[in-house]
Amino acid sequence: MSEPDDPRWLDDVAGELRREVPVRPAWRARLLEEVARTPTPSVRDDVDDTFDDRDERPLDAGRRRWSITVGPLGSLAAATMLVALGAGAMYVAMSRLGANAREGASRTAATAASPGLVSGAPASAEREVVRFELSAPRASHVALVGSFNEWNPAATPLSRDPASGIWVVSLRLLPGRHVYAFVVDGDVTADPSAPRAADEDFGSPNSVVFVSSPRT
Amino acid sequence: MSVRLLALAMACAVSVATAGAQEIDRTLPSKLSAPTRATLERLIDSARVAGLPVDPLYSKVREGVFRAAEEPRVVAAVQRLTRDLGDARSALGDSAGAEEIAAGANALRAGLHPADLSRLRESRGLRPDRPLTVALVVLADLATRGVPPAMAAASVNELVAGNVSDGSLLSFRQNVERDLVGGRSPASALDARTRAMIDAERRRP
Repeated sequence: MSEPDDPRWLDDVAGELRREVPVRPAWRARLLEEVARTPTPSVRDDVDDTFDDRDERPLDAGRRRWSITVGPLGSLAAATMLVALGAGAMYVAMSRLGANAREGASRTAATAASPGLVSGAPASAEREVVRFELSAPRASHVALVGSFNEWNPAATPLSRDPASGIWVVSLRLLPGRHVYAFVVDGDVTADPSAPRAADEDFGSPNSVVFVSSPRT
Repeated sequence: MSVRLLALAMACAVSVATAGAQEIDRTLPSKLSAPTRATLERLIDSARVAGLPVDPLYSKVREGVFRAAEEPRVVAAVQRLTRDLGDARSALGDSAGAEEIAAGANALRAGLHPADLSRLRESRGLRPDRPLTVALVVLADLATRGVPPAMAAASVNELVAGNVSDGSLLSFRQNVERDLVGGRSPASALDARTRAMIDAERRRP
């Protein structure tokens, strides 16, 4: 394949590669499986092989298996991947920084609102920061479970505020009605300061928090 | 090899995007047996076809698994919730949103009558910008705290008709709860707090 003389073709290709490609979940799963199955080459072997190629010494079959020949398109693909990874990492880092900053700013608003209703500063275009608190001075572990974290007790542990001895956690939740409960040293308990949900299908009651949309 | 590098880059980009977009896991836990999953899938599919919100049903399943409930109990809870969601939608009208329907189902579970929900809808009117979700949450809460449902419905309906805000409704709930804990009777607490709230709304400029 011949390459055009105009260097702008590189920009065109890079732009095309950066464009988001819709991928079906099933394809994505297969893709990730394939990536996981691909053996990881040793970096040291790669470097050695490169030098071996330069020296034009014969390579044994086992080492040649890991040799990588990178042409212009391969270099471009690698560069694009690094750019994508860097942009992704920067996006995640900026999101976390932004969320933390907004979380701190909205704590007062969220705590001051009526229990059960939160309308603090928006943490993103859609979500609101909600601060959950529980006074359990003798507890050694407190977690939050609910419709927003698939009732997974490992997903949202609370941390004890050393100053007050109160267990706290702040989450970014979508506007709407959320059902939740605390898990205190393995026991499920409702939030004593929030409205109760009348849904005791499995023993103890749950609580309700309603996150209002900043637009309403 | 460049194809593999490209595949890796695409996989990374896609995983970041989907992690940000994922909200509700609409799958059934693999801990459940295949027959139970099939039963639940049929139930949830029928709810979806009926136009009912299905996220509360998935949440109920996950809550049951988290609480290590027996599988027949999980199925029974989902069946009951599906029925309540349908009754709430009928009582609140076809224009009711998913959050209203879920809160309405919860109020019915607390002992409210479908006619109570319909009266609330009539008082509020068809206001997409003012859903009844918080009013229904307050109703369910009062009923679970021992307030007779009919009494709770009358008070909350009066507040809704008086156009009180969602925040005021929740303050009302909090004050009634405080009164009940203090030993006041439900009738006395509701009457005093409802009057105070209506008066405050009237004084508001």
